[in-house]
Amino acid sequence: MEGILSPAESAALKELFEKKLNGVMRMYLDTCARCGICVESCHVYASMPEVKYTAVGRAEVVRKIFRRYFRMQGRFAPWLGEVLEFDEATLNAVYDAAFSCTGCRRCMVHCPFGIDTQQVMAIAKALLIGADREPKVLSMLADMSIAKGEGIEETRADYAQALKNLEGEVKAIWPVPEGTSAIPYEAKEADVLYVALAGSHSIVSAAAIMNAAGEKWTLSSFEAVNFATFVGDSGKAKRVAQRIIDEATRLGVKEVAVVECGTAFRYLRHMIGPQKFRVVAFVELIDRYIREDRIRLDKSRLPESVTYHDPCQIARNSGIMEEPRRILRAISDRFVELRPNREENWCCGGGGGLVAMGELDFRMKSSRVKADQLKASGAQIVTTACENCHSQLSDLNEHYGLGMRVEFLSHLVAKALVLPGERFRR
Amino acid sequence: MAATITGGAAKVATDAVAAATGTGNAAGVSAVSGASQVAHTGLALVMDGIEYFITVPMVYLSVAFLLVAIAAKLVRSFRAGPPPFQLALYPVPRHPLIASLRDTFGMPQILKIEPLFWFFLVMYHVGFLLLILGHLDILSGINLVPPESRHMLGAGAVGVMVTLPTFYFLGRRFRDANRVISTPGDYLLLLLLLFLFLFGDLMSWGNSWTASGFVMTKADFARYFDGLASFSFADPRTVLHGAHYHFVVIHVLLANLLFITLPFTKVVHAFFSLPLNLVRRQPWKES
Repeated sequence: MEGILSPAESAALKELFEKKLNGVMRMYLDTCARCGICVESCHVYASMPEVKYTAVGRAEVVRKIFRRYFRMQGRFAPWLGEVLEFDEATLNAVYDAAFSCTGCRRCMVHCPFGIDTQQVMAIAKALLIGADREPKVLSMLADMSIAKGEGIEETRADYAQALKNLEGEVKAIWPVPEGTSAIPYEAKEADVLYVALAGSHSIVSAAAIMNAAGEKWTLSSFEAVNFATFVGDSGKAKRVAQRIIDEATRLGVKEVAVVECGTAFRYLRHMIGPQKFRVVAFVELIDRYIREDRIRLDKSRLPESVTYHDPCQIARNSGIMEEPRRILRAISDRFVELRPNREENWCCGGGGGLVAMGELDFRMKSSRVKADQLKASGAQIVTTACENCHSQLSDLNEHYGLGMRVEFLSHLVAKALVLPGERFRR
Repeated sequence: MAATITGGAAKVATDAVAAATGTGNAAGVSAVSGASQVAHTGLALVMDGIEYFITVPMVYLSVAFLLVAIAAKLVRSFRAGPPPFQLALYPVPRHPLIASLRDTFGMPQILKIEPLFWFFLVMYHVGFLLLILGHLDILSGINLVPPESRHMLGAGAVGVMVTLPTFYFLGRRFRDANRVISTPGDYLLLLLLLFLFLFGDLMSWGNSWTASGFVMTKADFARYFDGLASFSFADPRTVLHGAHYHFVVIHVLLANLLFITLPFTKVVHAFFSLPLNLVRRQPWKES
């Protein structure tokens, strides 16, 4: 029959599937009662109401394969659970499920059993890698990160020079004493290793804030983003993260502060196991500086109303919810909440690698509910603490003509920094 | 209407027997019951054998299968190892275990999103627990309900507590997105449960629709259950009287089928709900 995979190909995919079957995963696959409570949880379904865009709709694709290859039902009564064989149509359905899910885990908040659809989709992504059908752009970006780690010694001097060229922008926000580096690099005595992204926007404001706070910090040679997690390649994801772990260990820092990037933060905070250093989100660091009065912020510099988009990986998946709100209240009198917010916040629709993959048409259609939510807030500025969310919110702003300004939280804080002796409004 | 016909027919029979034998009505009931114990031949004998198999050996086999299969499933799942990293959601509740118990038994997510569904789920699950308790109570050593009572626990209300929600669950499966996500197995499981409950209802309610009230009392069922518990392998027909006996057999058959299929169905959520909710509520210790 056309489209059926060879026995060897099917066996290889089955083996890949089996490797993912830890105890919790087995329970996730066996437990779903198909009660449908998660149906309304997904922003994609809320924007494009097709059942394949629900948590249960996506997970059922994986469950039907599970029932076929790992349950007696698959052999004796396949019709009972509508099982799926490995073939072209199944792999297409697996792709649609895996890469229409942003891994936001909002459905997990609503599931009466707490089933984690992102984990179930990890099986789907592993199968796609095994079938050589994963989005190649994500694999390529992950490979580039790994290659950068392997060749860092050859590029270190160039990177150091590029940072020197950037120092002027940092000093324009917060001057540093003559002879002091505004962007410390390879600093042996540093307490904090700041891991940025590939782009000066993720370095300048953060550097100014840390300098203002008198932090002993140093910049990482590597970008925080981990494209391997988007593509679902756990082996490559470990290698990408290992570059940062090795660097932090070599420099002997106490903390690794991760730039405003949700997936990078969650991976380093929760998925690398115990280390000699602590992992913090950059917003946690800013909040700490404010609470310890290490930086002063002027509220008068942000006259517009501002709202905050909780990045899924930072908020419901890592617990950073009150810190950004405290920061916003320190720089604005006109902070308004999105409804819903915190763990119930709608995903922006750009996670799971979708922004990196392009997919503009799907991202815009599948996030109409997010655009509606932003519009309903009435805020002039939407701020967030995640690069992916920032990109997606900017696209939504343009596509739906929301007329808002999209800002990184750190940028707003940098603009509100009060120099010594300057008058300011608390 | 059905009650009138059934009750009327039984009354005619018992009155006829009472009149013919010149005895009272109670003796008439006894005689009708006794009539079901006359020696059978041919197909009736085969049917007797099938009914005996269903009500005694198959009960042991299906219960044993249920216990072994569930134990194997639990062992396999719990021994398959932990996930590679923690999967908790935030914010973390002050008491993760209590929050997990609340999620498992209170289903607050469903209450918030679909209150009517939650109402029927609570009614169903409470009813199901009472149902288990009611069946255990039939054993002569327990007796939450006095042994001389004609009724079993709940006097039929417990059956209604599970039957009504099952009708609702089945109807809900045909609605909107639920119809698309449902598999044939989902409908069959609900139909199996529905008919199991309906035959149970028939025994607790229909049993009292005879002219002279209950034909099979709690004490009768206790004799059957005690026989099973003591592995006497006695034919329940000797202690359960009247035409309702065949309904008992069908009820037991459906229960056996449920026991056999249960380990392969999503009913395993009964065992996995609490551990999974703990995974959601309890983060691992930070590095």
